[in-house]
Amino acid sequence: MSSLYRASKALKLCRAAPTAFSSNYYTTRLSSTSYLDSILGWTQSAFFATHSSQNVKPSIDLCQYASDRIRNFSIIAHVDHGKSTLADRLLELTGTIRKGHGQPQYLDKLQVERERGITVKAQTATMFHKHNFLGTDTEFLLNLVDTPGHVDFSYEVSRSLAACQGALLVVDAAQGVQAQTVANFYLAFESNLTIIPVINKIDQPTADPDRIKAQLKSMFDLDPSEALLTSAKTGQGLEQVLPSVIERIPPPPGKSNSPLRMLLLDAYYDEYKGVICHVAVVDGALRKGEKISSAGTGQSYEVLDVGIMHPELTPTGVLLTGQVGYIVSGMRSTKEARVGDTLYHTRSTVEPLPGFKPAKHMVFSGLYPADGSDFEALNHAIERLTCNDASVSVTKESSSALGMGFRCGFLGLLHMDVFHQRLEQEYGAHVISTVPTVPYIFEYADGSKKHIHNPATLPSNPKQRVTACWEPTVLATIIIPSEYVGSVITLCSERRGEQLEYSFIDSQRAFMKYRLPLREIVVDFYNELKSITSGYASFDYEDADYQASDLVKLDILLNGQPVDAMATIVHRLKAQRVGRELVEKLKKFIDRQMFEITIQAAIGSKVIARETVSAMRKNVLAKCYGGDVTRKRKLLEKQKEGKKRMKRVGSVDIPQEAFNELLKVS
Amino acid sequence: MFLKSTFSPIFTAIPTRIKPPKHSRAVITDAAIQPSLQTVRQNASTDTAANPSSLLLVHKLPPTSAYIHLPFCRKRCHYCDFPIIALGSSSSSSTTTTNSDCDDPRILNYVETLCREMKATKLSSDPNPPLETVFFGGGTPSLVPPKLVSLVLDTLSSKFGLCANAEISMEMDPGTFDGVKMKRLLELGVNRVSLGVQAFQEELLKACGRAHGVKEIHEAVEIVKSCGVENWSVDLISSLPHQTPDMWEESLKLAIQIQPTHVSVYDLQVEQGTKFETLYTPGEFPLPSENQSAEFYKIASRMLRDAGYDHYEISSYCKKGYQCKHNLTYWKNKSFYGFGLGSASFVGGVRFSRPRRLKDYMCYVQNLEDGLLDCSEDSFTDYKDLAVDVVMLSLRTARGLDLKSFGEAFGGSLLLSICEVYGPYVESGHMTCSDEKGRNITSDEFSFLLSDEHKMNKVVGFLRLSDPDGFLLSNELISLAFGVISP
Repeated sequence: MSSLYRASKALKLCRAAPTAFSSNYYTTRLSSTSYLDSILGWTQSAFFATHSSQNVKPSIDLCQYASDRIRNFSIIAHVDHGKSTLADRLLELTGTIRKGHGQPQYLDKLQVERERGITVKAQTATMFHKHNFLGTDTEFLLNLVDTPGHVDFSYEVSRSLAACQGALLVVDAAQGVQAQTVANFYLAFESNLTIIPVINKIDQPTADPDRIKAQLKSMFDLDPSEALLTSAKTGQGLEQVLPSVIERIPPPPGKSNSPLRMLLLDAYYDEYKGVICHVAVVDGALRKGEKISSAGTGQSYEVLDVGIMHPELTPTGVLLTGQVGYIVSGMRSTKEARVGDTLYHTRSTVEPLPGFKPAKHMVFSGLYPADGSDFEALNHAIERLTCNDASVSVTKESSSALGMGFRCGFLGLLHMDVFHQRLEQEYGAHVISTVPTVPYIFEYADGSKKHIHNPATLPSNPKQRVTACWEPTVLATIIIPSEYVGSVITLCSERRGEQLEYSFIDSQRAFMKYRLPLREIVVDFYNELKSITSGYASFDYEDADYQASDLVKLDILLNGQPVDAMATIVHRLKAQRVGRELVEKLKKFIDRQMFEITIQAAIGSKVIARETVSAMRKNVLAKCYGGDVTRKRKLLEKQKEGKKRMKRVGSVDIPQEAFNELLKVS
Repeated sequence: MFLKSTFSPIFTAIPTRIKPPKHSRAVITDAAIQPSLQTVRQNASTDTAANPSSLLLVHKLPPTSAYIHLPFCRKRCHYCDFPIIALGSSSSSSTTTTNSDCDDPRILNYVETLCREMKATKLSSDPNPPLETVFFGGGTPSLVPPKLVSLVLDTLSSKFGLCANAEISMEMDPGTFDGVKMKRLLELGVNRVSLGVQAFQEELLKACGRAHGVKEIHEAVEIVKSCGVENWSVDLISSLPHQTPDMWEESLKLAIQIQPTHVSVYDLQVEQGTKFETLYTPGEFPLPSENQSAEFYKIASRMLRDAGYDHYEISSYCKKGYQCKHNLTYWKNKSFYGFGLGSASFVGGVRFSRPRRLKDYMCYVQNLEDGLLDCSEDSFTDYKDLAVDVVMLSLRTARGLDLKSFGEAFGGSLLLSICEVYGPYVESGHMTCSDEKGRNITSDEFSFLLSDEHKMNKVVGFLRLSDPDGFLLSNELISLAFGVISP
């Protein structure tokens, strides 16, 4: 009887979730970003396959799952090593998603969700699995917290790992350990997680599990006998995965009888429900209707809905110690949801959890409406987009060349690309973005320090002498087949890298660690690396300290007038070369105009590179035959439209492409 | 049957809502001036509407010019993208007037359709002013037998009336007419000849795919002169492939030597779909570079002016009093009829281009006769469009933009904005400015006037492109005004 009652209650809850999540809603968002799928893989989707479907599911009683019956784990892997497929298989194996004919539709939905959730990284799906544990068949609650693969989001990886006690380290049986494998291993290792090595794709003809086992031993000191051999594609070896998770990974350590402490893992904005927070209950329990407070903001909220991702939002009314789920609490903006915050029962006193370091913005770039009058539209688009991607920092700025715009901080270049793409595809904004820059610190003779996120704000001829400057660096991990070592070393030293480590994973693969100035890898390092290694290099980095560096501001001048949006900060020794490249590039993109144009690169008042675009000599359509005015007029209209798309500095028209092309000069 | 094998058999339906030319019966009333467009002409004085020379009215007056397209050519020149019909070598016999049995039925057919079009054209003004200019363009109109030209002129005359002293121009190619034909045409009333010389070098003529050589040019000149044609023009093309400055100077020298009253100098445009397009890229060898090409333009301007020709329009030069009146119609934004394949007309403020394919054109004429075309007058005048046209067309001429008329028609503030955008170019010498009496206004004076709208309107008479620097950049300069008028 009581279970029936619960069922009907759950049913009501499901209904309460707006049924308007019809396919119409999704199809409108069905644009774009398929390449992102491969980067972020399944990760976006599971968490985002949010909305309670209209099928009534039996309600889930979480009370059966004390923390010793809970395992929280994640899957970490290098891109394309099979993480997404493995995750899918585990979800199928536990019946969380249906295999066979039901699945394509499910995946369709996932694809849509991928479009939406690109920057909300920590995803979770809750699974239930029966396992003979210590001699009795026991039902376990397993939370799969997935992580994104790309280097830009390593911050997100560590965030996800905070909710886990163990991780499956997936390695491709042919490719072996790659740079991200290393990076992710250390993230997991430093979080004290139990690591289960999974050698995947053993069905490939080139699979060599023994070599990989040896790599795992030499690189990470992982016992070869502990490695699971699987093929997520054929299903081979999959049956060992969940038992290993249950037996090797410890249950979450929290205390169920202590006051509630929850870690806020992530948040995103849902147009219908508002802010949805993704939480891990560390201690105590949370029930629907309770009042909670944020340790970070002091704000209080009522818990309107609570549940798990199964993989869609499934209301449970309660979350117990060690469990991972979602809450809806009436927050109005994701800005209120500080990731890493501790949430607790209002009027209780708790020690806040350690939390995370705030997201570090590594790359800054100016975003301007391609058409100056579109500022409001761009403003609106950015506001909407940042609701779902709180990891972007946005401040208004203005440029004499580009008008009003925004200075945005990103976690990395991919993140920046994704943001641009979403702005264009989802909000129809046309943007010009300025050369990405990294945050520098300049110190002046009077001891004052200036943080520079926009090179234009650095005075070209400062009143105070600059006594020191610092630039951010990264620790880069590069794994390559040994024949490419020479060219990679050359590349890294060209990029002012300092070699920290050089060893061999096995007879064929070299492992190198470099300290590189972030600026040097921001633009085209990865592409260059890929191209000189025929695509075999794998690369990852983590941010490291600032280092003192001899930096100068490089101004670009058109007919003597500096173009603020083109200013850049470079190392003094590279200024000459970069200056020349920029000037040459600009010459290619600036069309001849009615006046001669000089393009200069200058440090302070010293010109270091110069090109001239000679004046246009002729642009005349001589005939206007038989009075066919219309045709000529069309041509002139086109010319006018062309001018409209130009940005004007002094008397010089600069085509938008020129700005975008400059991005490609390192 | 013949038509079928010669022309594309694909029938393209003409859109049913083509608006054929039809001019206004009523002189403009206030209602014609749309209130929504007042912004453009906000400062226009209200009595403009009564002034028949107003830029707001001139295009609405009934046409007194007609362009007649005679599309036949022996072959298509390599640079040509006009709607033409290549007859092939078989009809070279039509050079002479004698063997009329050999008249090509394609020409006859076409001219009959052309006359039907003229007859079916509705007149809306009564009485209808007689035509003051007629221009036979092509194609190669001189390929058409005089008796068919006569048919056209008769039809025009009876339909629209023809002034006794009307300028009747005909484009004629060397090698397509003899003395007898020339005389015949003069008797019919043709009184201006535009001779398609293009170049005086055998290799260039050949490279252009012209159907004549240098010898035919000299013969043609001889015929024109001996027949006593007083008003005639030589057409030349600059920037041809492999053309050197020496060749260009030679062509100009020879053109000056034969003493035409008018010279047209066209700068080669590599048009889409032409043979030249497949062969050449503008600015790249064997076409001259942009600099060389500009140099050609300057050479022409210098040599022709030194020889006493007035550079009265971007590509036109003439001896005093020999401007092409028909073309002036275009530059003054006056209305004109257009008849024939692909021809453009401007009647009652509506610009309309006829189908470029013969079959479509035939069908168009049929529909016109059947009254199937929407004849409703487009009484709506877009003042922005009008202002843009006025600027574009008048800046092609040496006279330039009549600022007073422009200000009266479109308002002092728009005028001021245009003057503002041109300020730097008056300073750089790309444009010049004069008061009503033609006295030059210096750039300093001009920039001073910019601060005083009232004075500007009073003092400044004309704004024009300088010769040759301004003319050479006319597209750039004119499009600046476009940006001001309709941003």
